[in-house]
Amino acid sequence: MQQKLRSNFTGFLFILPALAVLACLYVFPLLRAIWISFLDKSGNISLANYQKVFEFYLRDILYSVAISGLTVVTALVISVVIASYLRFKEWKFLDYMYRLPLFIPFLIVGHAMRIFLAPHGTMNSLLTRIFMVEELPGLSTSWVGLLWSFTWIMTPFATLIVLGAFKALDSSYVEAAQNLGASKLKIVFSILIPLSRSSIMVAMILTFVRTISSLTIPIMVGPNSPTVITVDMMFRVNYFNDWGVANGLGVVSYLIVMVLAIYYLRFMISERGGIKG
Amino acid sequence: MKRFAVLTFVVLLAAIFAFAQEDIPVKVTLTLMVAGDQNMADFFQYEIAPEFEKLHPNVKVKVVGTGPGDAGSQQIIQQLQLEKDSGKDKWAIDLVIIHETGAVWAIEKGLIRKYTDFLTAKRLAIRNTDEIALGFDVDGYVMPMFHSQTAIAFNPRYVKNPPKSYEELVQWVKEHPGKFGYNGIKQGMSGVSFVSGWLYWQSQNPEVIMNGPYDKKYEADWEGIFAQLKEFNKYVTITSGNAGTLDMLNRGEIWMGPVWVDMFYTWMREGRMDPNIRIVIPAPGMPGQPMHYAIPLKAANADYALKLIELVSSPRMQAKYIIERFNWYPAIGDDYVAPFLDEEVLDRLYKDVKQDDLLKYGKPMPLLQYKQDMLEAYERWVEK
Repeated sequence: MQQKLRSNFTGFLFILPALAVLACLYVFPLLRAIWISFLDKSGNISLANYQKVFEFYLRDILYSVAISGLTVVTALVISVVIASYLRFKEWKFLDYMYRLPLFIPFLIVGHAMRIFLAPHGTMNSLLTRIFMVEELPGLSTSWVGLLWSFTWIMTPFATLIVLGAFKALDSSYVEAAQNLGASKLKIVFSILIPLSRSSIMVAMILTFVRTISSLTIPIMVGPNSPTVITVDMMFRVNYFNDWGVANGLGVVSYLIVMVLAIYYLRFMISERGGIKG
Repeated sequence: MKRFAVLTFVVLLAAIFAFAQEDIPVKVTLTLMVAGDQNMADFFQYEIAPEFEKLHPNVKVKVVGTGPGDAGSQQIIQQLQLEKDSGKDKWAIDLVIIHETGAVWAIEKGLIRKYTDFLTAKRLAIRNTDEIALGFDVDGYVMPMFHSQTAIAFNPRYVKNPPKSYEELVQWVKEHPGKFGYNGIKQGMSGVSFVSGWLYWQSQNPEVIMNGPYDKKYEADWEGIFAQLKEFNKYVTITSGNAGTLDMLNRGEIWMGPVWVDMFYTWMREGRMDPNIRIVIPAPGMPGQPMHYAIPLKAANADYALKLIELVSSPRMQAKYIIERFNWYPAIGDDYVAPFLDEEVLDRLYKDVKQDDLLKYGKPMPLLQYKQDMLEAYERWVEK
């Protein structure tokens, strides 16, 4: 008994640094943010901040969710296509190229996209010459441009996860299907994707969370209004010194992400009868 | 023997210090926190720091830039608040350069001290920006570093007769949809300035909005004003940020848009802006704002901070750096600066917008509460 307690204690000591970091840098700020979001200007507990959040920013919240959702869809479609291709065929060039955006900082991507997609930007300068037209509308200040940039950034990460899952599958399934005459498309849809469901799910959730929490890209690309939650948070802090509403917006985005997390946990439990890696 | 060695060592050490610092034998690191665009940080890092260190060899100037817009000031205020909360006797920040909003916040939170009664340059400040910021009494706490102004830049290739007033601008925009661009209110102050000008034009009480007193009753007509701005926005391109407007002007995507005059001229001098583009301030005027020097309440080296402010505010330095190198309008009277300038430099600065225009159309930013109400009004009635 004494022995067991002691070994438990040693174990606890080992994880203590990690726990302490988590508590100081994550749990404490989280609780503090929630607390501040319920304080009005004079420090009383009230719902005034949330009233403001929904009065001013409801549309932006919906917009953020929509853009993040769309990013998830496009990034996943592209990553499944790339991963399926690389599952069957070795192509070194593609294998390297799809990872490239992983190593380019958000700020650089934002600036590049803003110039690339501007009305008289690089892409349009090329297109107007090819199609011999005078003017083309720019994408840099529309939601399409924002979606484009997000997809560019998020796809490699999703592809890494999906491709990993595809490659980890026992190839006997694939070979068996091939022996029975299944086409590659059929194999992708009826074997690879269903069997990698949980990994695809992880890729989806990570993409969503990374998108909805991004600030750099929506500042530089995309419309001014509606805009995403993070830009509104920055606006509240910088222009109003108003941490209450900013934290209220933060709590709302926590909740959005939380919904996904709960859904994910449920899915994992029903899928495997427990939470595993 | 041992005692002798120690003694020699101490004497030697003292001698080294004495000879190294013939003037004042105390090493000082003077820490500046600077809000504003990169050019602000560069100004102190590469121009002022070397000059100051030459005058005071015992001082090392350390410059920390915190970024553009009120956000930059906000960061500085947070740092000062941390110093205050720590309860230390001597704060590690000696001098801050902040926007008007930042100055008001700092005074409200008790983060900066009065100092300008020791400042000779204060006698040379002729505009009242050193006394009132956003309607608040800041007298004693701040000295302006320079004045900055917003204006409408236009491309004369497409715009032969630039609008002389907001009224004409509205007319022009309806005739040329999509060719006027500004950056809304969330991404930079040139857009906020444009909206302030719009409000000054339409409001029944522009003087009250600029100078106070604050009362919601003066906002009764705002809903209609912003409804018109929403209508106006249908014919307008919304750009991304102060730099976004300049970029689009330069690429010819828009033909007109509000810009900061100093940024505009600096871009032009650096070859990043079509040199044919001109500026104009439409009636009834657009706001500008100074940047302010302030000394933190318990700055460890307040004495040297004061010396630095004195140096930078002197007519010679204002002429050489503020006007000639950085294209800002001076913090002190033009007459004090003119003897130190070439005619050509003054002409360049006042080429499009004359000094008279500046006095007539250069407005302050709205009172802080009005400014915040204005931003929310824009969110409520224009963006939705």
